[in-house]
Amino acid sequence: MTPSTTRSTTKSSTAARKHTLFPRGSRRRAICVGITALVVFIVIWQLITAVFGLVNPILLPSATEVGSRFIHMLTEPYQGHTLGGHALTSLKIVVLGWIIGGIIGMPLGILMGWNRWIRAAVNPIFQVLRPIPPIAWIPLAILWFGLGDSARIYVVWLAAVVPWILNSFEAVRSVDSILISAARMLGASQRTILTDIVAPSAVPVLVAGARISLGNAWTTLIAAELLAASAGLGFVALNARRTLDSDIMLVAMFTIGILGVIFTGLLYLLERAVSRGRVEEVSL
Amino acid sequence: MRVTEQQRPVGQIRNGPPFGRHMPAVVGMTALVFVVVVWWILTAGTNIMSPQVMASPTDSAWTLGRLMVDPFAGSTLPEHALASLNRWARGYLAAVILGVPLGAIFAWYRDVRSALSPIFETLRYIPPFAWVPIAILWFGPGTTAQAIVVFIAAFPPCVINTHRALTTLDPTVLRAARTVGASRLATLIRVALPASTPGITAGLRIAVSNGWMALMGAELIVGQKGLGFLINAGGENGQPDVIIAGMVSIGILGLILDTLVLTLTRPMLQWRKGIESGD
Repeated sequence: MTPSTTRSTTKSSTAARKHTLFPRGSRRRAICVGITALVVFIVIWQLITAVFGLVNPILLPSATEVGSRFIHMLTEPYQGHTLGGHALTSLKIVVLGWIIGGIIGMPLGILMGWNRWIRAAVNPIFQVLRPIPPIAWIPLAILWFGLGDSARIYVVWLAAVVPWILNSFEAVRSVDSILISAARMLGASQRTILTDIVAPSAVPVLVAGARISLGNAWTTLIAAELLAASAGLGFVALNARRTLDSDIMLVAMFTIGILGVIFTGLLYLLERAVSRGRVEEVSL
Repeated sequence: MRVTEQQRPVGQIRNGPPFGRHMPAVVGMTALVFVVVVWWILTAGTNIMSPQVMASPTDSAWTLGRLMVDPFAGSTLPEHALASLNRWARGYLAAVILGVPLGAIFAWYRDVRSALSPIFETLRYIPPFAWVPIAILWFGPGTTAQAIVVFIAAFPPCVINTHRALTTLDPTVLRAARTVGASRLATLIRVALPASTPGITAGLRIAVSNGWMALMGAELIVGQKGLGFLINAGGENGQPDVIIAGMVSIGILGLILDTLVLTLTRPMLQWRKGIESGD
């Protein structure tokens, strides 16, 4: 047994429960229950589809069918690309929209936090535009940029830029000015102030913004691809519906979900690393 | 900001901005007017953006008024809006009715949470729009499929915020309730849930905008009615004035729904006022 599991089980279990293998509320118990439930879920899915045939396979294909289709699609092209190729097409647009969102949103947010006149000028425009969901820009984006990648990048950018602005703004405001004054009075250099006071409170908020922004970008891209695209995971899902290949549709959905988990997971780990336990989140 | 005003010596007040404390509002209004003027110049003023690509502010406003009575793509604007609101209300109510109890169960019964949260977390990362094709396949391209998409978007914030609100409660309060003889379930219903209304209502508000946004996406992709369908039809006919009128309606209705939920949930928070001012 590794030291960490020993610690977590003993910490959360009371003396009376020490003898049981899976004490109530322990991490090990949670993982075991979770895995069991997941297995049961898949078994039930398999039972009602393949074994008893309770559901029309066009509406819900069996778990094994979806699994084998997934492996098949990794190597065999569907509509011109393999699954990896479609995922890359989607990723390229998301990352572009996300980075451009950061390049424009971060300086704007920092300026808004820094200078109250810029804040006074930008804020009303921001507040007027914000209730309109980024997705509602899709028809206009298609009129402006045509059906190509640039329309999708623009819509993804719109979705990504809002959390960038909000969290950069919040990052500036999270810095305690009294601490800066105190440090300056005690003779700290500009660099020390930046690394020891500004960065510890601002960076976690910024990284949280990056994470929320990437999540928004991913969600919006799928909508944009469902509407107008010739490659990408959203396109795969919609195209498979037209041809009633529901196993391909589920493969696309799961791939979208897994990639979403990977992004958010990676940025969440980064967020925890930079914040050392202090996670501040700006709710949208 | 108040602090700096108090600290400023009286003699220096004259050096402040010309409109005093109203200056930020004046700057904001000026910026908004500036944006609208630039928009007008780019479209109607100089035709840099042709009417096929972007409508002028005045044209858009006229179209917004005209759509109130003249049907576009089969229905007038209020009819499209009602169709959207109907779908939104069904999905949203289902999400609240199922999501808040599930969040409470997650917080109260840890094994249930351990069992369901891996499935919940996996499905949560599939964006609501990715469910559109399968929702259409299962329920046909009608109101139900779109209400399902709203439900999928609005459900997670209901669950997560209820769960978080209940698990961050002061344990002393809960122990006090147990000490005076309340059962676990009674503690949940009579103590924990009322005490966590601020967190729960915050989740309900996030669910409003999530659901509304997802519905617009769903209506863009499929349907014969609704505001999302309206802007899509405007785009397909090359009528940016219709798109902008639709976008404005979407934004305004989103704000109205948010205000509505805020107003409806406010009575549930009233009791806290005494506590907070008593601190």
